[in-house]
Amino acid sequence: MSAEYHEPRAWDEAVATLQEHGDDALVLAGGTAYTLLLRQGLIRPGHVIGLRRLPGAARIDADAHGGVSIGAMATHTQALRSEAVREHWPELGAALAKVATIRIRNQATVGGSVAHADPASDAPVMLCALGAQAVVVSGSERRRAPVDELFVDTFTTSLAPHELIHSVEIPGRTPWTRAAYLKYTLRSVDDYATVSVAVRAEITDGVVEQLRVFLGGVGATPMRATSTERALRGRRVEPRALGDAAALARNDVDPADDVRGSAAYKREMTRVFTERALRSVLA
Amino acid sequence: MKLSHTATLATPIDRVWALVTDIPAAAKCVPGVTSVTANGTNAYKGTLHVQIGPVRLALDGDITMTSRDDARHTAALRADAKDTRLGGTVRATVDLALREIAGGCELAITSDVQIGGRIGEFGQPVIQRKSDQLLGQFAQCLARSAS
Repeated sequence: MSAEYHEPRAWDEAVATLQEHGDDALVLAGGTAYTLLLRQGLIRPGHVIGLRRLPGAARIDADAHGGVSIGAMATHTQALRSEAVREHWPELGAALAKVATIRIRNQATVGGSVAHADPASDAPVMLCALGAQAVVVSGSERRRAPVDELFVDTFTTSLAPHELIHSVEIPGRTPWTRAAYLKYTLRSVDDYATVSVAVRAEITDGVVEQLRVFLGGVGATPMRATSTERALRGRRVEPRALGDAAALARNDVDPADDVRGSAAYKREMTRVFTERALRSVLA
Repeated sequence: MKLSHTATLATPIDRVWALVTDIPAAAKCVPGVTSVTANGTNAYKGTLHVQIGPVRLALDGDITMTSRDDARHTAALRADAKDTRLGGTVRATVDLALREIAGGCELAITSDVQIGGRIGEFGQPVIQRKSDQLLGQFAQCLARSAS
């Protein structure tokens, strides 16, 4: 069975095509995840809607406050090499550079990575920590949703069936903003993470004013280390406190046994890599 | 793949037992079950729809109650299902046990699930998480329905 391929030239046309074919349609961004599922025989869509011809879909811009907007169809390579990301969010560029291999980064898109909602993917975890918002379109409507609220389960987002991710927006930073992304791979560097940690912090006079910590590969979605955040927010940065706070992250994750490690091992590596990530931004 | 769940119910044991052994009624508590009908003595037919992201499964199959002990409040079920569109099978044995506790009863569900064919391509961690989720929601729903 072959699928009918649609290549809409306008966002409302894309949404209308999606609405017309409902469950029988699949949205194609970079196609890296789609191709795998198709080859595994797990999907058989009747209609495929390719987004690459949509106007502005791969556009990358910075605003006057250092906020960066990345079009959903921008590839990881386009994003990490863009002037906007390099100037304002080099930490995001570094995180995107850790995705798989250059062939994948040249093809896989930032929006596709969010929509696919693989909990072990790199971009979603970092976008969650940076406090990014997704611009979501449906027909002529547009809404903004915090990226971390989009993820509800493995491969599942809270997007309605007729909604598309238009772009993601990373809010600007202050001179006191720090961020980092650490990825631990057990087998080879191009693998999915055994655990990954993304941190964004605002530190004023040695006090942690704001802190967001998200973990990848250790739950059904990017997992927020709320216990760690709570333990450090409003506190003065002390090396010992970082280790204690990182240990709390073990209770914020829900890993499963797989080829990348046992659940117990992943929990322990959550502590280790959370501490390293905290030290790199706070110490 | 072995899964287990327990649920505490503030309902008399006999009422819960009547519900869990009424397969068509209990099946309404499994999210994604569209129909379960009798198909002989202690045998039923049903369809379970499961969605994991872009992958949609429609599992058509048979459920048989292989043993039932009303005095001990234990029962065993076997389910054989397949998705004919994608090509894949799911076989499960399910043991149900109820025990009386202060103020109600406790339901224990243990299950051994075997996945075959294309569905297995998804990888065990994802399937285990989804199965675990379904069983957990089933136990919660039973607790609500019986109270």
